[in-house]
Amino acid sequence: MPELSIILQVLFWGIYAGCIYMLLATGLTLIFGVMKVVNFAHGEFLMLGCYATFWIVVLLGINPYLAILPSMLLLGLLGVAVERLAFRPILGTGKLNEIFVSLGLIYILQNGVAFLWGDDFRSMHSPYAASTIPLGGINLPLDYIILIAFTVLILVALHLFLKKTRLGRAMRATSQNRRAAQLMGINVERIDMLSFGLGVALAAAAGSLWAISGQLFNPYSGSLPAIKAFAIIILGGLGSIPGAIVGGLIYGIAENAGGYLFGNYWKDAISFLILIAVLVLRPHGLFGEGEE
Amino acid sequence: MIQKRYLPWLGALGVALFLPIIAGDSPYLMKVLIIMVIFIIYTHSWNLLTYSGQASLGHAAFFGIGGYASALLASKSGLSPFITIFAGAIFAAVAGAIVGAICVRLREWFLAMVTFGFSIIIGTLFLNQFTGIFGGVDGMPAQRFFSATLEHRYLYEYYFMLLLAIATTLLVHRIMHSRLGVAFAAIRENELEAKVLGVDTARYKLIAFLISTYIAGLAGALQTHSFAYITPEIFSVHNSFWPVIYAIAGGLGTLEGPILGTVFITLIWEGLKNLGLSFERFVIIGALLVVMVVLKPGGLSSVFDRWR
Repeated sequence: MPELSIILQVLFWGIYAGCIYMLLATGLTLIFGVMKVVNFAHGEFLMLGCYATFWIVVLLGINPYLAILPSMLLLGLLGVAVERLAFRPILGTGKLNEIFVSLGLIYILQNGVAFLWGDDFRSMHSPYAASTIPLGGINLPLDYIILIAFTVLILVALHLFLKKTRLGRAMRATSQNRRAAQLMGINVERIDMLSFGLGVALAAAAGSLWAISGQLFNPYSGSLPAIKAFAIIILGGLGSIPGAIVGGLIYGIAENAGGYLFGNYWKDAISFLILIAVLVLRPHGLFGEGEE
Repeated sequence: MIQKRYLPWLGALGVALFLPIIAGDSPYLMKVLIIMVIFIIYTHSWNLLTYSGQASLGHAAFFGIGGYASALLASKSGLSPFITIFAGAIFAAVAGAIVGAICVRLREWFLAMVTFGFSIIIGTLFLNQFTGIFGGVDGMPAQRFFSATLEHRYLYEYYFMLLLAIATTLLVHRIMHSRLGVAFAAIRENELEAKVLGVDTARYKLIAFLISTYIAGLAGALQTHSFAYITPEIFSVHNSFWPVIYAIAGGLGTLEGPILGTVFITLIWEGLKNLGLSFERFVIIGALLVVMVVLKPGGLSSVFDRWR
């Protein structure tokens, strides 16, 4: 039996990674819920979030945490454009086309960034990088705690938006039944565009927080998290936001525990084993029910 | 009397036979041609699977398994690579049977994810485990088809690959126009309807997987013995995505698609390389893919339709 401090450490690092996955998966599941589209290039927006935050901080010299919102806004707009140009024309033409378009987007975004800013690893420095808070025999980096707090804040804001505002209600209505929503006078195409933008903004938030908390990033950093986010939304049930949140948390912890037990290079492979196991045993996710 | 619809095929064959004359003595051009023909075979394999409605995003797993198996067989048994490529591909088909059995119940995205995940798992396995056998990150050498000192060896290699590419094309043609092909198409168009009409969809999807992964393994073995080495790089996502891009550019689900697409994209790719572009090449290819899917879903093949 490992020591308590090690268990705590694995748990805390798991929650920390889980927060990133939660934000990413929530965005992905939001887009899926409304448009019934899986954007495999979702992780590229996380990567762009890292770069957006990096450049805002470098150019304006502000506290990195203040750069999160502008990054989200910037990428949200990019998301709207991507939806309009790439996904709307192929909506309803078959699911294979969605996969192919996302593949093209992955190539464009990854290598576009590599072309502009090179493909070396970069990192940023948070002003609180040196601060830690001791708890149960381990030292928790302050940035990680702020990251967890930010994630909770963003998710609560999202919850309030979806439950309390007219637009949020329209999104949920479209998600539940597109045709009925249309008949009720909702402009579903505009809702598509907005939810895609919102989903991308959530991915950008994940990227911002990832970069600020001191993780290295390069143009290819988004691919694996995207696949994991996909696994998470299957785990949590496609289109379900609570499922994405719980799934993200479970996934982050499971991945860290797996990495601790089997060695770090197996981390990614373990995630796919989990994914395949879930798909085979529970094709509709742990909390999902029935066909899409 | 030759039917008119065969004319383009004969023309293409004629061009393929005489291409090495243009390439002349340039080893660079000959290598490009050889890899191009190998990827025509590989793209055929991916295209055939998609013909049955199953789009794999991890075909590199089977490509690589075929390569490793053939290289190992050749070095351990001393058999000629001309034999081991066919035996090595069986290992790819076995892996394909396992993945296919998992996938027959799954829908498009899930299948794409499982295949992609499988290629990552296999890549990790070959990189980190059994390094005594597979050589870890350094990989291992593979026997060449023709001795490196042999004059005109690229020429022989090219014609050998071309022969296999022609055989693959004929095989895919046969399959597409058989009961099997009709079943594949029925599943692709509407799996539920196919099932209602009495098509054993699970069985046919598995058969599609077996044939496709066998051919993918064969193509991987061809590349391995042509390069004379193999490393876990062979499992990289690029090797999974190239056949997707080639097939879409050429025309998804058509017989000529993999050929047209592979030739077309290879020309662009190598052309841009000679212009000194690096990352931009991927951006251009990605943009081309999006534009193709959005504006010309039938690919290059549909451009020629009006002359048919």
